[in-house]
Amino acid sequence: MLALRRPFLLALIFGCAVSLFTSGRLTLRLAGPATVYWSFVPLIETAALAVVCRGKLRTISPAQAIDRFFAGFGPWLLWLTGLAAIWSWLPGMEAFVWTNPFWLLIAAPAVLAWSCYIDLRFFRSVLDHRPGRALVWHRVISWPLWLLWFMASSIWPPVASRLGL
Amino acid sequence: MKATAIQAARAASWCLLAIALAAGTWSDAPRPHPPLILGQYPLGPYRVLALDTHVHTFPFSASTLWPWDVVLEAGRQGLDAIAITGHDQVMAGQMGRWFSRLIGGPTVLAGEEIISPDYHLIAVGIENTISWRLKAGAAIDEVHRQGGIAIAAHPLAEFWPGFDEEAMRKLDGAEIVQPIIYTTGYARREFQEFFARWRLTAIGSSDYHGLGPVGLCRTYVFVREAGEQGILQALREGHTVVYDRLGAVYGDPSLIQLAGPESRLRGPEPTGPESGFLAAISRTCGLLGMIGLSLGAFQLRPTA
Repeated sequence: MLALRRPFLLALIFGCAVSLFTSGRLTLRLAGPATVYWSFVPLIETAALAVVCRGKLRTISPAQAIDRFFAGFGPWLLWLTGLAAIWSWLPGMEAFVWTNPFWLLIAAPAVLAWSCYIDLRFFRSVLDHRPGRALVWHRVISWPLWLLWFMASSIWPPVASRLGL
Repeated sequence: MKATAIQAARAASWCLLAIALAAGTWSDAPRPHPPLILGQYPLGPYRVLALDTHVHTFPFSASTLWPWDVVLEAGRQGLDAIAITGHDQVMAGQMGRWFSRLIGGPTVLAGEEIISPDYHLIAVGIENTISWRLKAGAAIDEVHRQGGIAIAAHPLAEFWPGFDEEAMRKLDGAEIVQPIIYTTGYARREFQEFFARWRLTAIGSSDYHGLGPVGLCRTYVFVREAGEQGILQALREGHTVVYDRLGAVYGDPSLIQLAGPESRLRGPEPTGPESGFLAAISRTCGLLGMIGLSLGAFQLRPTA
């Protein structure tokens, strides 16, 4: 249970945000399915964590490590809630203006940096050595995976074109 | 003492989420949307359908909802038809169409947004994926061979070189109203310039990627017969009217006149946040519950 509770909560908050983005309210019709299919984020994050920490955990169990790792998602969840507030309270056109550039280009990089710091401290506390390397590997494994699942067919043409494939 | 307070805050957050879900689900009704029939022979009668030709779904196309959720949401937003246009794939559109036929939902046209480095092209009413490696003219030929309609997607100046004279001659329509015209100062002017280059069907679409309602911008299509073929035929013939929110109207002049006051067509269009007491309760409680859970169960500072 310990390994599941925060990943599940993360997916639930994703599902609620999706419902608010689209319909301006929380409905079971949207939040329920979105919670299920947005669970790919915690699944991929957990898989990447398992790869990075395999056999290297110092003092805590894998379940505790998952729980503590996901505890660091606070900044991202507040950012997501802010985005949901913009899209559920403002008329569509104003929401676009608030989202881009402010929320995506200014707030998101700040949250990104802060979450890296939180995760670095996490890896420092649970691994014997090279926490920075663990952080980089975690990002290298998890981000391309969920980017592929989220927008694979949008990424390939420009990449292939640039590489001359 | 502190642990008790945290537990109470978490319980309150769960209660707020439960209230939000109950209020939101209870008030989750479609916008009123009676059928609209305009004109008499020879100009009519036309059935006017609200259409969004540029809708993306999850996964793979950078959106948040699966095709079946989009179909349900389109119906709730008062849309008669949507084109689900996966990035370089038609599978999402076919899934959405299957589901909509199953439940008797809005008409779903299977489509693709062909994302080439040189141009973005909406192919509506096709069955097989069209390669992004084709030049615009060849891609449009393939769209037509499959019985579909080719629409220039968000034709900003950076994409103009991709639409050479041959492609322009073959192109059926172009997006003239899209959310980007309200957020990027030059987009509206560039869309208008592109639209003026050739005789094109006017298209308004939301380019739905999960933020905001489906059909935020839409096309009013004047069809002789409802259904996929009727819509495609109307798009082919340029029988559309599109409004932006800055007072401009695009499309067939005779149909603009026939449509009459703007409000007659735009009645069910979403303009502001969802109205109604229960919707407001739902989003307020929902947001507070999400903040409570984010702060109560997650951390903003590194763990010791």
